[in-house]
Amino acid sequence: MNFAGVQTPIPASAGIGLRSSHFREIIEDKPPVAWMETHPENYFGEGGVPLRFLEQIRSLYPLSFHGVGLSLGSSDPLDPVHLKKLKALIDRFEPAFVSEHLAWSSVSGRFLNELLPLPYTPESLTQVCSKIDEIQNALKRPLLIENITRYLTWRASTLSEGEFMAEVVQRTGCRILLDINNVYVNALNHRFDPLDYLKTIPASAVQEIHLAGFDRFGTWVIDTHGQRVHQEVWELYRWVIDHFGPRPTLIEWDTNLPPLHVLVEEAEKAGKLLGENHVVTS
Amino acid sequence: MSSLRNIQMLFSDAMTGQKHDAVAGELCRTKGSPLRSIALYRRLIRINYLQVLKITYPVLYRLVGERYFGILARGYLKLHPSTSGDLFPYGRYFPFFLEDLNVPALFTHVAKLEWACHEVYQAPDSLPVSWELQSIALTDPSRVTLQFHPAFRLLSFPCPVHRVWLALQPEAEAEQVVELPLLEEETGIVVTRPFQKVEVMPLAKRQYVLLEALYSGKDLASVYQMGVDSDPEFDLTLFFTELLKYQIVSGFSVGDSL
Repeated sequence: MNFAGVQTPIPASAGIGLRSSHFREIIEDKPPVAWMETHPENYFGEGGVPLRFLEQIRSLYPLSFHGVGLSLGSSDPLDPVHLKKLKALIDRFEPAFVSEHLAWSSVSGRFLNELLPLPYTPESLTQVCSKIDEIQNALKRPLLIENITRYLTWRASTLSEGEFMAEVVQRTGCRILLDINNVYVNALNHRFDPLDYLKTIPASAVQEIHLAGFDRFGTWVIDTHGQRVHQEVWELYRWVIDHFGPRPTLIEWDTNLPPLHVLVEEAEKAGKLLGENHVVTS
Repeated sequence: MSSLRNIQMLFSDAMTGQKHDAVAGELCRTKGSPLRSIALYRRLIRINYLQVLKITYPVLYRLVGERYFGILARGYLKLHPSTSGDLFPYGRYFPFFLEDLNVPALFTHVAKLEWACHEVYQAPDSLPVSWELQSIALTDPSRVTLQFHPAFRLLSFPCPVHRVWLALQPEAEAEQVVELPLLEEETGIVVTRPFQKVEVMPLAKRQYVLLEALYSGKDLASVYQMGVDSDPEFDLTLFFTELLKYQIVSGFSVGDSL
């Protein structure tokens, strides 16, 4: 398969998350979005339908890989099989970005397959940085790490999440995938000002932005990726691109998946804001 | 201060069992009580695995309904926790789990068929057999044994599972009444992936017997003889062409001399 524009980096414009139920429509209609992102774990099989579709879509759009299974913050070692499969996919599809979550999801060989928050401690920092070094050495490229939603706070934490991320970036040279919906959801659940959080993030390290929808369940606000981006999150996004500069921006939608055109509309909305941005330098 | 590993072990224990207190002591109060955070994560994790099983076993899900499927999924999670960051293999033991439960055998049969579909979906690709090789195979069938495509599964059930599978497809009419196959009726089923689409095809008993013979390594001539014995008009070329058309066969071996 010939990847036209393999070397083309993802532009500072809007893309959408790739879902299998949209495969055929994307290939047939080629919707007007700048790029696509997908979970590499969905293509860990040795062949078959998903890889064929991904090849076709990769020939049409720049691609980004957004991993969910490396368990960066686990006290277990990295899973070498997982890393090997990821590397093989990267070699084959040459995504512009490869990202993972600043989270843990396994311990003592048992996986919980949920993005779980770390205690922000020097010990966690050492653990995460060591894993990121190992991954970046294996993949021979910088990894982007994403801030997650968290529904708990560890007593043991001695650093704020922003301080922790900044230190990880400083020590490993990795980059940041800033999920603005996650910042907003955490701000609501843990009652802090999202702008205070954003001001702790090293702007120059942010290479990608995620936007998504959330839902309310009782007193919790949950990052469901199951509806349109909320107005408050759009406003936060505008602040981010005004202060950080325009960045490649992804519309994530994982549950309650709507028709493809809804994702495209959301991407167009992000694209419009990206086009309007005026960077505030102060 | 608790070490990272200790914290993670405590949290994992709280997610999989009822031991909440130890990890609750490690958490700040959120929404009133740390126990609320623990309960939320338990719920989120359960939903994740339920979703994976629903995607892997959609027909069984429609057959047994949301509530009962949820009970099965919970029981499965207790016995078969995930061991990978890749969730594709998570439901591998679900048919065996059902087999060990006191549930109708039909549930297990459907689950076995769905796991076969799941595997075939991502099984390795294989180049089609060339016409030249096909003609060689038919020239000297006594020396030929077939190699089967990695995206091929041959299954046999003591009841017509295929009818249930068909009736519970998403595109089947919602009002349709599914007649469960209470009578015994042995059914062979092929799962294959011609043209990158997973196909589930029922086999007549005679077809199943011949295909099983080939799959177990019998040479083409012996299988031809079996076919002729049961039907004097059995057409080996036609049978062979069907195997190739549906990408059931990916190659063959010709005696020892090649």
